[in-house]
This record gives sequence, structure tokens and C-alpha cells, in this order.
Amino acid sequence: MASGSEPWSSGVAEEDALIGETTDVELLKRAWRNEKAAPEILQFQAALVLRAREQIQLLEGTVEEFVGNGVDDLAVSLYQMDLDRTQFLLRSYLRLRLQKIEKYMIHISKTNLWNRLSEQEQNFAKRCTDIMEKHLEQSVLSRLPFGYQSILKQSISSEEDDMVPEPQLDTFVFCKTRGDVGAFQLDDTGDEMVDLVADDLYVLRYKSIKGLVENGQIDLV
Amino acid sequence: MAGQSDPHLSIFSAPEVEFLAEDEVIEIVPNIRMESLHMICGDFGPFFPQIAAKVPLWLAVALKRRGKCAIRVPEWMSVERLTQALEAERESPREFQTLPFHYVEISRLLFDHAHDDIPDEYMVRSLIEDIRDVRFHKVETGLESISGRTHAVKLKNLSAMEVNIVRPFIIRTLQAFYKHDSPQMIQQPEATGNRRSQVADRGPRRDLRPR
Amino acid sequence: MYGRRASQLLGELAAAETGQLTVYNSDTFDQVIKECNEHNVQLQSLFRKMEEQNLDIQTTRNEDYFGAVIHHLSLARNKRCLMAYMYNRAETIQSLRWKIGKKLPQEIQEKLSFSEGEYFKNHSAAIDSYMSELDLDLTVDMIPPKDPYIQIRVLDDIGEVSLGDLEISLTRHSVHFLRRTDAEQFISQGLMEEFLG
Repeated sequence: MASGSEPWSSGVAEEDALIGETTDVELLKRAWRNEKAAPEILQFQAALVLRAREQIQLLEGTVEEFVGNGVDDLAVSLYQMDLDRTQFLLRSYLRLRLQKIEKYMIHISKTNLWNRLSEQEQNFAKRCTDIMEKHLEQSVLSRLPFGYQSILKQSISSEEDDMVPEPQLDTFVFCKTRGDVGAFQLDDTGDEMVDLVADDLYVLRYKSIKGLVENGQIDLV
Repeated sequence: MAGQSDPHLSIFSAPEVEFLAEDEVIEIVPNIRMESLHMICGDFGPFFPQIAAKVPLWLAVALKRRGKCAIRVPEWMSVERLTQALEAERESPREFQTLPFHYVEISRLLFDHAHDDIPDEYMVRSLIEDIRDVRFHKVETGLESISGRTHAVKLKNLSAMEVNIVRPFIIRTLQAFYKHDSPQMIQQPEATGNRRSQVADRGPRRDLRPR
Repeated sequence: MYGRRASQLLGELAAAETGQLTVYNSDTFDQVIKECNEHNVQLQSLFRKMEEQNLDIQTTRNEDYFGAVIHHLSLARNKRCLMAYMYNRAETIQSLRWKIGKKLPQEIQEKLSFSEGEYFKNHSAAIDSYMSELDLDLTVDMIPPKDPYIQIRVLDDIGEVSLGDLEISLTRHSVHFLRRTDAEQFISQGLMEEFLG
């Protein structure tokens, strides 16, 4: 498709930077977008969530104070909107993660994805897995012949766990690099290279850019 | 899973794309005096009558709806710039012009809430519609060029709404090519509920033993 | 044909719209379970037969062995279908907690098996306990927020109304800026409409 060579040149991108890529809202939004678009669960942004919650609490207090002190309705309603927006992002982010846990709980609990969960998410995952196991046990597994009763394996003759739903890492994702990444290898054999230029939009296989997502060089959109 | 569409194909809902667009910065001209706003999403103001200030679009719209400001239409939304953009879109069948990532949503929000601030509103409206159409057409023809050899697609300057619309098509197409292109993948055990077609290949591996 | 019934279960899933539950098909489900056990009976008896002939199951490749393989594969396939059926339904059931809430309406409850009903309750409790650990309700703010205030035009004379600490006279054709939550009741009764400047 279109692939011009001139750099992204409008003032729009710069203005984006102006509002401060550094605000926690901006960071939260990025985490939210990446979490939404990535097929597997990403590292929990513990410090960021903590900060966002603190700021929400602080502002909630301020708004209450304003109302009490008769600060004008206009400012109060604007602050309320700011609060609503941040709350939505935070809740939606946490919800997305729970939904990924719900979907891939068994896979997550037996791989190192486990370490990406917060403590509360781990508790949730444990509980969910128990509940799911119990449900499948009593509806299906216990009613099957010996040798076919595992939740992980099709039968005792399966060598590996072949019954566990896993995220599809070879799916394609839309992404934008934050800075120039340069020539990047897309497959294991090194046959496919792509030059990742800042702010350009690409559709790539998640598996091949997973590392760039994890270290923050690329954003999913 | 089985028979259901992949939930990853539609990632952002239209309200969510709009939500993201509402954080784009825009210039307003307040008609009131208001102290600085120290918000979670940043500090804005102080505001003085007739002195332009930069705020996120959601804030601009909120003030506008309360009659507290006029919104300065961004440069790219002028008839002149849009006419240029439209011409350029038409002239280069394989390239997308540089427009803000959220140009569709920004312009719609402004039409809905600040149409009186847009000079030549109807002209602007129709230019943006034309640009959208030309670009969508380009996206469609671009999709036809995806082939089995495609490991990466570059979509320079494609906007958020356009991404959202083409996402399911592009992902499904690339995935289909990718699957048919890599024979080793078919044999790879991948255990999910929706991959039951592979079951047939999996004979008893080790010890098919009586109990 | 082996495995046909099981695939019917998945056909039902596939035919349902995403997020919609069909009635738990206990008849077909139980029949597939029965098929599984029949396959196993056949499988075991073929193995016994081979053992009685002093044949090594690991190496012998005669008709009995391949017969056993067919039963094994059919059983495994049935199991996969049963699991996919339950698992996919469980996913939809999970999503109901987010979409509908803790209490499911009768018409949905009727579609669930007993175990699924239990599953919903337990899973719902797991979500609750996560939320209380975090001290944060995640069942609100499901969609991006809008301006809590909305401009409306009054369509019919409503008269004096008190909204919170605000006394307001809602005369026909007048335009006001109200809390969205206050306006919604009037809008749904057709007494007001949203007014985009």
C-alpha cells in the first residue's frame, strides 16, 4: 500500500508531544490501547495504576471541597469530566486484563505470563481456574472414560498440553513506532526485514514485534 | 472461538475512537476569565477573554457547549488546505495525505458542537466527506494488492477511523495468506477450542495402553 | 458417522450470534458422553483381544490396532467438541456478569445447565472479590464518558421542577443545560429533546 518516503510532517504530531506524553493519563491511555490490541496479557502497570488512583482520589477530594466552598459550577463540572475520563481509562484497563485472564486463565497460570499479573489478578486467576476446573470436571471430564479426564490433555497419550486455549500470537496487529527503530527482522529466518520509521503505521505479526511492544518502542493502535 | 468471529478483529468501538480523539489539542478563544485548571490530564489556562488558549478537544467542546468560548478551527480544516488535500489524494492513487490521525472524529465533533465557528461550514463538510471517500476507495484498492508474500503492510498516514474500518479485512486476509503460506504451521499443535480440525492428525503418540 | 453428534453441538454455537446463549442441549450432550463411553468399550475390547493373542500393542499394526486408533480418535474428538461447547458457553456466561450484572433474568437462567448456573455464581463472586480487594467497582464506566451536562429543548410545558438543589421552570420551547441523568427521564417520556446548538 501507500509508502511515501517523506517524513510525517504536520504539526499535529508535535502538538501531541506538547500536551506531554509524560502525563499519567497519556501513559494510561497507551497501556490501555496496547492491552486492548495485544492478543496476550501484558505486564501490569503497577506504579502507573497506583499513581492514577492517587490522583483520582486527590481530585475527588478537591471537587468535593470546591462544591462545599461554592467554587463556580463551571470549573467543578470540568474537573468532574476530567475525573470521569481518567476513571473510565483506569477501569477499562483493569477490566480488559480481567477479561484476558478469564479467557486464558489456564495458559496464564502455567506460563511465565503469570508474573505479569498483579497480586490481586493472581488471586482472581487462581479462583477462576478453580471454578472453571470444577465446572468442566462435573459437566464433562468426570463423565468421560479413564485416560480422557484431563483438563490439559486430550488423553494420556498426548505428550504436551493440547487442550489449553492460548492467545494467538501470530495474529496481525496495527502499530506505530514511537521513534525510528530501523531495520527490523520480521521472521526467524531473517528473510523479511522492514524499516520501521517513527510514526508510520504498520500492520505486522504480533509475534515478531512482541519485544518492541514490551519495551515500549512500538504502540499498538 | 468455534464459529465465532475473532474478538481481536474489532478492537476499538466508535465511542472509544472518539474518546481518544477528544484528547487532541485545539485552540479556543474564551469569553470568560477562569483560573488555571490543574487536571489529571494536564494543566490548562489561566483563561482570559479574547486570549487564545490550548486545551484538549473535550474541554473545548465542554466550554463551547456552555457558551464560554469559540473554537479556532485547526489549520488543516480550512477550505484551502482541504482543497489541496483532496486534490493530492486524487492525484496519488497509492498514497495518503498527511491529515491528523483523528481527522474524521475531530471534524465531526466540531460540526456537532461548534459549527458556527467553522467558516464555510458546508464547503468544509463536503470536502471532508470527499476526502474520506477518496481515501476509503484507496484503502479498498490497496487491499487487493495484499498477496501471499505480504509479511508487513505499511499504511502511512492512515487515520484512526480508517484503521478501525479496515482492520478486520486486513487481519483476516493476512492471516489467511499466512496460514496457507506456512505448511509447518498446520502441523504445529495449537490447542484451542476452535482448532478442532487438527485433531484428526493427532494419532496416539505414545502409550495407547489398556487400563 | 462417528463424531457427527458432537459437531452438531458446535454447529449450535456457531449459529448463535456472538454473546448470545442457546439453550443448553443436554440431550445431545448426554448422547455424546454416551458415545464416548461406547468408543472406550470398543477400544478396550480390541486391546483385550490383542492381549489375548499375545500381541504387543506398542508395535503391532493389525486391523484391531487401527480399529482401536479410530475409536481413540473419535473419542478424543468428541471430548474436544464437548469441552469446546462447555468452554465457549462458559465464556459467554462470564461476559453476562459484565453486561447484565449479578442477577440473571429468568429467560437466561433457563438456558443454563445446573453446573453453568453454579459457574456463573462462583465466577461472579470471584469478580466481586477482586473488586473488593481493589476497593474499586469495575462494573461502572463501561463506555467512554460524555459531558455530564446536556443541552435540551423542552417540547411540552412541564412547569416548575426541582432538580437536586435547582428549581427550574421548564416551559415549552425553552432551552436548558441539565444533568444528563436528570434530563433522561424527560427525554424518554418525549417531553424534551437533546439540542445540539
